[in-house]
Amino acid sequence: METVEKISSFVLPCVVLFIGLILLFGKGDCFSHFLDGARDGMRSAVKLLPSMCALVVGVSMFTASGAADFLAKYLSPVLDFIGVPSDIFPLVITRPLSGAASIATFEDIIAKTGADSFQSLCASVIMASSDTVFYVLCVYFSSSGVKKTRYALPVALFISAFAVIFSCVLCRIFF
Amino acid sequence: MLGKCFGVLSVISFFFAIINGNMGELCNSIVSGASKSVTLTISLVGIMTLWSGFMNVLKQAGIIKKLSHLLRPVLRFIFPKSFKSGVATEEITACISANLLGIANAATPLAITAIEKMQSERKSNIASADMITLAVLGCASFNLVPTTVIAIRQAKGALITYEIMFPVWICSGICMVLGIISCRILGKIYGDS
Repeated sequence: METVEKISSFVLPCVVLFIGLILLFGKGDCFSHFLDGARDGMRSAVKLLPSMCALVVGVSMFTASGAADFLAKYLSPVLDFIGVPSDIFPLVITRPLSGAASIATFEDIIAKTGADSFQSLCASVIMASSDTVFYVLCVYFSSSGVKKTRYALPVALFISAFAVIFSCVLCRIFF
Repeated sequence: MLGKCFGVLSVISFFFAIINGNMGELCNSIVSGASKSVTLTISLVGIMTLWSGFMNVLKQAGIIKKLSHLLRPVLRFIFPKSFKSGVATEEITACISANLLGIANAATPLAITAIEKMQSERKSNIASADMITLAVLGCASFNLVPTTVIAIRQAKGALITYEIMFPVWICSGICMVLGIISCRILGKIYGDS
């Protein structure tokens, strides 16, 4: 299994090496192409700050007020019914909202149930196979000025809910 | 979308802070959240700058064009409108390739560039079907090796570490397929704005 990690650690450096070779042997002024592209990238990244600010403030208010804990507690009968162990509910709530908060909850689950418990394994698979939906959508759309995202959020949330349930099913099969 | 999300989150938070009696914590979270957003954005600025530069080098060298020809049969099905009109096909190809190679921190800046490019040809500020598909695929982000999770597991003394990759691959793969199918169906229902 570690060979897979070794190979995958080659991917990024190989792409960079390839670009380095283009810069060395390519036709024309390749480095100015790099600078042009990089300048545009920097500009769109800075444009993200206003919407990022609203999102992060909203999410940190949500977790600080205790609303996240409340939701996790009262959703438990529903999730229990579909085979998601009750210890990982806090993760189900924080995973779509914030990367840092979900890592913290993930570590709590490991501390509480042990690293090789069924709950921790489910949590690991959920952590790795779903993403911070709100953050991703905010980042993707805000710098281009798209205001109405229509069915993007419902589909993304549906997919991450599916990922939670399916991760637990897979963990039952694999471990 | 974000305006509504913020509204909902602030109303719920205020309500729960009153019930739980932790208005002080709510107060602190507003201030700390605002400064945290700057750190998050700045960490993204570096990655964005680097990958947009790389992207432009590959684009000018004609490599992305070749790649997009190669992936065309698959991508034409997933992003019908863009591949028909030829707008942003190179950007989409680059983003999906980075996603499949598992270079997650390159996929985000490339997706932003792709959506900006798609938007630059339009007047309305409503997301098109192809934009939404790209965003949903970004949410089901594929990770070849989930390094963060494996590192945490190892640090906590887990015996099962790399073995979690198989269920992760299956789960993200199926999520991607499910995302594409749902976007296709909803795209038909809602129409392409």
